[in-house]
Amino acid sequence: MNTIGMKSLLAKEVRRFMRVPGQTVLSPLISTSLYFLVFGYSLAGRVHEVEGVPYLQFIVPGLVFMGLANNAFLNSSSSLFITKIQGTVVDLLVAPLGPLELMAGFIGGAMVRGLMVGGLTWAVATLFTGFRLEHAPAALLFLLLSSYTFSVLGILAAVWAEKFEQINFFPTFVMLPLTFLGGIFYSVRELPSPWNHISLFNPMVYMVEGLRYGMLGQSGFSPLLGAGILVGVALLATGVAWAALRSGYKLKA
Amino acid sequence: MSSTPALELRGLTKNYGGKLTALTDVNLTIRPGEIFALLGPNGAGKTTLIGSVCGLVKKTSGKILVFGHDLDEDPVRPRYEVGLVPQEINFDPFFSVAESLYIQQGYYGQKRDEARVMEVLTALNLRNKADSLTRALSGGMKRRLLIAKALVHKPRLVFLDEPTAGVDVELRRDLWNYVRKLAAEGTTIVLTTHYLEEAEELADRVGVINEGKLLLVEEKKALLRRLGEKRLIVTFTAPLSTPLPESVLKAGATLSEDGRTVTYPEREGRAPGGDILRALYTEGLPVGDVETRHSRLEDILIDILRGKPAAAAGAA
Repeated sequence: MNTIGMKSLLAKEVRRFMRVPGQTVLSPLISTSLYFLVFGYSLAGRVHEVEGVPYLQFIVPGLVFMGLANNAFLNSSSSLFITKIQGTVVDLLVAPLGPLELMAGFIGGAMVRGLMVGGLTWAVATLFTGFRLEHAPAALLFLLLSSYTFSVLGILAAVWAEKFEQINFFPTFVMLPLTFLGGIFYSVRELPSPWNHISLFNPMVYMVEGLRYGMLGQSGFSPLLGAGILVGVALLATGVAWAALRSGYKLKA
Repeated sequence: MSSTPALELRGLTKNYGGKLTALTDVNLTIRPGEIFALLGPNGAGKTTLIGSVCGLVKKTSGKILVFGHDLDEDPVRPRYEVGLVPQEINFDPFFSVAESLYIQQGYYGQKRDEARVMEVLTALNLRNKADSLTRALSGGMKRRLLIAKALVHKPRLVFLDEPTAGVDVELRRDLWNYVRKLAAEGTTIVLTTHYLEEAEELADRVGVINEGKLLLVEEKKALLRRLGEKRLIVTFTAPLSTPLPESVLKAGATLSEDGRTVTYPEREGRAPGGDILRALYTEGLPVGDVETRHSRLEDILIDILRGKPAAAAGAA
């Protein structure tokens, strides 16, 4: 195990996005906060409570998740994809960095950015709604699981993509709809049939609901079931990413 | 010095999708501490060969051993010993020159070593650019940064894939001196280049590859001796109106169509050029200018690629 190599890649990944904090941290923080202000305040007048929770508080976990997931994904996907385009992927492939070191470096960097944006979004939301953290270990678990899973998915997208259009495919056509349909702004359980059942196939629902349980103390789903499903998704994504990096799929000639 | 080869290729073959064969059954042994020049035209398979060793290309079959370690058994560990200067310039615009080298040290499991980074930057005339962002460098500087990145972790086997493309003449000379110094310190160098002068200057041995097949591997000096030739070229002050003397023609000299120039290839077993010159003077021919030319690696490479029989005799 090349521990120094892995740490070096991780430190490089963090330094890379911290070189442009306006783009990588501030910009998503502002856009997520705008969701909070616009959706929260415009709907809070009509929807006072959802499942017994004031609406403004209800949407905080989902918005934290959205900032975290998007930025974890964007960091690993754009960083690895750009190394392919710039040709600096050669440095990584020639160096004694196996698939585990590469994954640890890219995932670590992406998780730091995701957690940073998610954490800052939470801090901003707290200014409006007050601080609530009912089950800290559960909140931490779902924050880590969500940021990890999206970091790995970012690696997969970057390995697969050959054009900029392709790297944008996943966030635009998969993540965005699933996130918005993942119960950020509403309770999935209150959806009419069959949409409430169909929503159960959306893994985002478990991430949002898990975080909601951790932060607000209540959720429409068992947090254990949610964690189990997410661990399964994370393991599957990790296995595929490991196999792709090990085989050099779309990275080696 | 260890007798374990720095690199051994056994039956190395690479097919792209079963259609294009980039390498065919390449067998090659690179000795530790030597400078080996791999020559061939564009698309011959040079970069594919290097990429197969460096983890950029997935070989189809064959064995690759780096300092005796089989890459099939452990594809990662032998790479601590390898450095690559890729053909294409690449740089990470987020980092400075020095930072790029610190990152590179880290990738190779080394702790940040500022003294080593400054040593390499000084050797490559980049010391005053240490804090510049890589995107601010000129093309030649970016090329030198690639070399610095390949060397900063002190690899024992270095691949230089067209290292001086786009580098000015003075700097090229500096780089040659640096490569010689590395080799003198025991680093094994495998070099590909389009500047055959570079191979002629630096290489201990030469390999010629074409269409994925290794055609020849030979000591450079022996190759130049075996396939090279010295030519005597005599120019007359006026075109000859009579044929060349019999003794000169029999020796193998030829007269140009315009009757102004005699060319005599001097080879082993033939009369020395001085005898030819003396015969021309003796006949009273109007000798104006005398010149000798040694064939260069470039001439020999062209002969080999054209499949001249004498060239093929040295095939590996």
